[in-house]
Amino acid sequence: MSTEVTPFKRRSLTISRSASTRMRISGLFGHGLLLLITSSSALLIIFIFYYIIREALPFFKIRGFVEFFTQNAWHPVGNPEEFGALAIFFGSGMVTLGSIIFAVPIGVVAAACLSDILPFSLRQLTKPIIEILAAIPSVAFGFFALVVLAPLMQNHGGLILGGSVWVVGLPLLFLASWIGAEFLATRIDGKNLPTTRWTLRLVLSVGGLLALWYVAGIFGQMRVTSGTNALNVSLVLGIMALPTIVSVSEDALQSVRRELREGAYALGATRAETMMWVVFPAARSGITAAIILGVMRAIGETMVVWMAAGGAEQIPTPWYNFLEPVSTLTATIAGEMGEADHVTGSARYHVLFCMALVLLTISFVFNFISDRIIGKGGLAKGKSA
Amino acid sequence: MKIQRLMMPLLLVVLVVALALPTVALGQKGANANRAISIDGSTTVGPIAKAFKDYYERSHPGVNITVSESGSGNGAKSLRNGVCDIAIMSRCMKAGEFKAAGEAGFQPVAHVVALDAIAVIVHPANPISELSMTQLKDIYSGKITNWRQLGGPNMDIVVIGRETNSGTFASFQELVMGGGNVKSDSESVGSNGAARQRVQSTKAAIAYVGLGFVDRKVKALSINGVEASPETVQSGDYPIARPLYMFTNGFPKLGTDLHRFATLHLTEKGQEIVESIGFVPVTRYK
Amino acid sequence: MNLASRRMMDRSFTVLGILSILVMAGALLCLLGPIVIRGVNAFVFRATVEHRQMLAEKYGVGDREAVKRELAQAEQHRTKIYRMISAYEASLEDESYAMRREMGGELDELKDRLRDLLGPFPGDPDPILMREQYGETRWDRALVVKDEVIFREEYDYSDPSAMGVLVHVPRADTFEGTSLAPLFPYLENHLSDILRPRWTFYWRFFTTESYDAHFFGGIWPEILGTFYLTVGAILFAVPFGVISAIYLVEYANPKNPLVALIRTCISTLAGVPSIVFGLFGLAFFINELHVSESKSVLAGSLTLAVLILPLVIRAAEEAIRAVPKTYKEAALSLGAGRWRTICTVILPAAMPGVLTGIVISMGRAAGETAPIIFTAAVSAGGVVALGETLSQPTPALPWNIYNICSEHEAVNEIRHVQYGMVFTLVFLVLLLNSTAIWLRARIAKRLRGA
Repeated sequence: MSTEVTPFKRRSLTISRSASTRMRISGLFGHGLLLLITSSSALLIIFIFYYIIREALPFFKIRGFVEFFTQNAWHPVGNPEEFGALAIFFGSGMVTLGSIIFAVPIGVVAAACLSDILPFSLRQLTKPIIEILAAIPSVAFGFFALVVLAPLMQNHGGLILGGSVWVVGLPLLFLASWIGAEFLATRIDGKNLPTTRWTLRLVLSVGGLLALWYVAGIFGQMRVTSGTNALNVSLVLGIMALPTIVSVSEDALQSVRRELREGAYALGATRAETMMWVVFPAARSGITAAIILGVMRAIGETMVVWMAAGGAEQIPTPWYNFLEPVSTLTATIAGEMGEADHVTGSARYHVLFCMALVLLTISFVFNFISDRIIGKGGLAKGKSA
Repeated sequence: MKIQRLMMPLLLVVLVVALALPTVALGQKGANANRAISIDGSTTVGPIAKAFKDYYERSHPGVNITVSESGSGNGAKSLRNGVCDIAIMSRCMKAGEFKAAGEAGFQPVAHVVALDAIAVIVHPANPISELSMTQLKDIYSGKITNWRQLGGPNMDIVVIGRETNSGTFASFQELVMGGGNVKSDSESVGSNGAARQRVQSTKAAIAYVGLGFVDRKVKALSINGVEASPETVQSGDYPIARPLYMFTNGFPKLGTDLHRFATLHLTEKGQEIVESIGFVPVTRYK
Repeated sequence: MNLASRRMMDRSFTVLGILSILVMAGALLCLLGPIVIRGVNAFVFRATVEHRQMLAEKYGVGDREAVKRELAQAEQHRTKIYRMISAYEASLEDESYAMRREMGGELDELKDRLRDLLGPFPGDPDPILMREQYGETRWDRALVVKDEVIFREEYDYSDPSAMGVLVHVPRADTFEGTSLAPLFPYLENHLSDILRPRWTFYWRFFTTESYDAHFFGGIWPEILGTFYLTVGAILFAVPFGVISAIYLVEYANPKNPLVALIRTCISTLAGVPSIVFGLFGLAFFINELHVSESKSVLAGSLTLAVLILPLVIRAAEEAIRAVPKTYKEAALSLGAGRWRTICTVILPAAMPGVLTGIVISMGRAAGETAPIIFTAAVSAGGVVALGETLSQPTPALPWNIYNICSEHEAVNEIRHVQYGMVFTLVFLVLLLNSTAIWLRARIAKRLRGA
């Protein structure tokens, strides 16, 4: 506002100085209040850390660090008491790994299909599937794992395992023999003649079928002694992690610039080749973030593992035996809290907070990494403007 | 804006529902809401408390009883904090818990509501029908791993234990395991019902549950040649038995609902309830 | 590689993609199928006359006279059974002691199974537990129990190297040639006359309290508890969430390190495992702040509010950001202050988006179990009045699903209640979510139209 303006005009356009000050002060005050409220929501996480740490520290004072992290004898009310949580960490890791092995390939391929292959109308149809899967409460998944899946596995375990080997193996075998024949045919005669190719294909697929038959036989013979085991939980956790993985990696794939795709197509690449060699590498960081978020979903889940993991604090023998019952951090906390002696502040009560602290730290670190990935470079390298 | 015109009725509906539901709830409750008894503690004593609640609420209309099965330790804590009237526990209070309660100005009084045997159960298909205490201990500590070692079929034993938070586990640990620990690859389940369920569905399994949970679908083993039954528990012959407790703060004032509820197990009806859900009454008038 | 192979590869990539989407759809179907089918079966089922009698006597509903008439008709068929049994009992008196002992045991067993099916015999003392006062109320269960009456389960241990084999021995064999033999074919042929099953829509499943630890009655206290917890969580989380979102979008300077820190905190909060919220709620709201002396609806709501706060903030932020800049600029150019612009222009325009976020968070809060284990949930309790929510714990659907399917003493007998509860919870949550999807579709339409 320039000083040459007449008083009449000044009154009509601006407000008095005192009112302006008042407004500024109240504005500042309001701003401060808003900041206060906002930061109090942010403070909650600090509170959470503070209270968990405060309750966790006495355990380390009583028992030290070594036993908790390196031993795997877990006998909180035993005689003598032992608090080696290694097996429980292992259980958490095992079911998380299992769920990721199951969910990542399906999730990423489904995301690619959603972002590049399906037409818009079909995509709109599949969206609700993902949304519904994401919305179903975890206790319903747990109920499913315990009441539906566990008896099925226990009674028809071999059949299911053998059958799934066939179902998963056949298409993969077909693809592998096709590619392998292609590759070998070029190697052998350099000309890649159709006859060589077809012979190789035949040989490879017959060999593969025999191998598959053998493997499926082994799996089919397996006896599942307990339906509530790591495999059951891994499957269900995988289904729970799918929506996260699909939607985040779909975002990542979609934010890869169109020019990259168009360039690849212009060079004569097929859609699959474009996806494999151009789009996936460009969206690598976004897909990593998707996997990390999926891991977080699986590792923090309580009800499914509590209800259906079997609750044995052991490292299975051999360690990759997914048909054994295991226990996880979350399930142990949920199960033990009721009986732990709050009153006298026993090691047994505080050790649960130590577990919570470990969980909290893991989720903090993972969250930090995924935030960095998503926040910094965007979801994909060639992000569109 | 069209959306907003749509929003208003929606909001109204939500508001009306939000207000209506609690009103319905208030209507159901009536004025006697303050005659409430809250119970917290063990899942083992839970069925007794729930059956007592059901009986008491029917015979004394207007009393509102909540049962929260969150574990014996939680029960003791709630009693000390003055938030439950009765702590149901499948073990006695520990010295530390008594002390803490005393320091907080509470005086826990124990009422033994029933006796409970821990029955060792297997699948009815299992030919084994008797174990000795040592054999049982060996199974749970991992020394015996196959039914063949006990004269049964050649099958690995699937050992089902209980989560360490249960009073049943504590009693089993004390009465059977003595100095040793349960082996760590035993499965642990959250409740008596779940343990029975696991045994029902697994032929090679063994588990321990409260006597009240034994039914036709599982087989209770004799221990040291003594069958688990109300008679052997009462006579003290069955080796794995224990009392179940209700703790109140002081002895309840005579004539109150709390008093009547906490002494229900001494009446004939109370004993009948205890018996019909499978536990052993403390006294026997008959 | 030749062209045909490359085309082949391309095709198989497409097929793999579609397959994986089908796997997802299949997983959803496998999950929802049993829950919906058996869940609906919890309240739409063939109810026997015992069910109607129970309703009339315990809940005072239904036409008493009609029930009485029906009972009388059923009684005609039942008395035949009772007569056969007492006749046989009388004939046992004349047998030898050993015979009496042996057959007496068998008879008692048979009578127990019959009691499961038909309720107490005439002349029996009134059983103390409600589950023993009535026969089977559901026809599907009755068929199972009928098989237990007709067959005895025995195990054949003849092969010592294997587990015993289950054999179903018809009880008719045991009682062959006695006056009891006709009982079994009679029961088989006249079961529907004895129990008079009829398709029933038992809507009271949603509106009544349960009797005898969920053996009878409904799940109203659990539904109400879930409702309280959800609404409570929303009441606490929404004001904080929306104000924080306004601040973050409209006021905060994104380059300010404090703001960056706040953002990091909020996104970390979103990733915390739900069980940790439970422990935090116990340690902070109950043990530290003493909002209530022990578990209560209030403590549970607060804990859930902390859990959904990041969701609400994120949704509100997005909604506010989506309001076209021109709205804000127009309001500011008309001389409205910043705060006034927010209140009268931006918030109303962002309202549908914010509401969508709130509805989705409600769904999340309703389904969470772990945070309320230590802060709010009890396994058996009645309806909690509004005034008691500050101090009383409540049953709630997610926790009670866990409780009755893994801690209840009679898990198998009340399977239908478990399915009914899961169905109700899933239905409620999906209802909330589809409301949100519908809201979002409306917004999308409006934005396209604008």
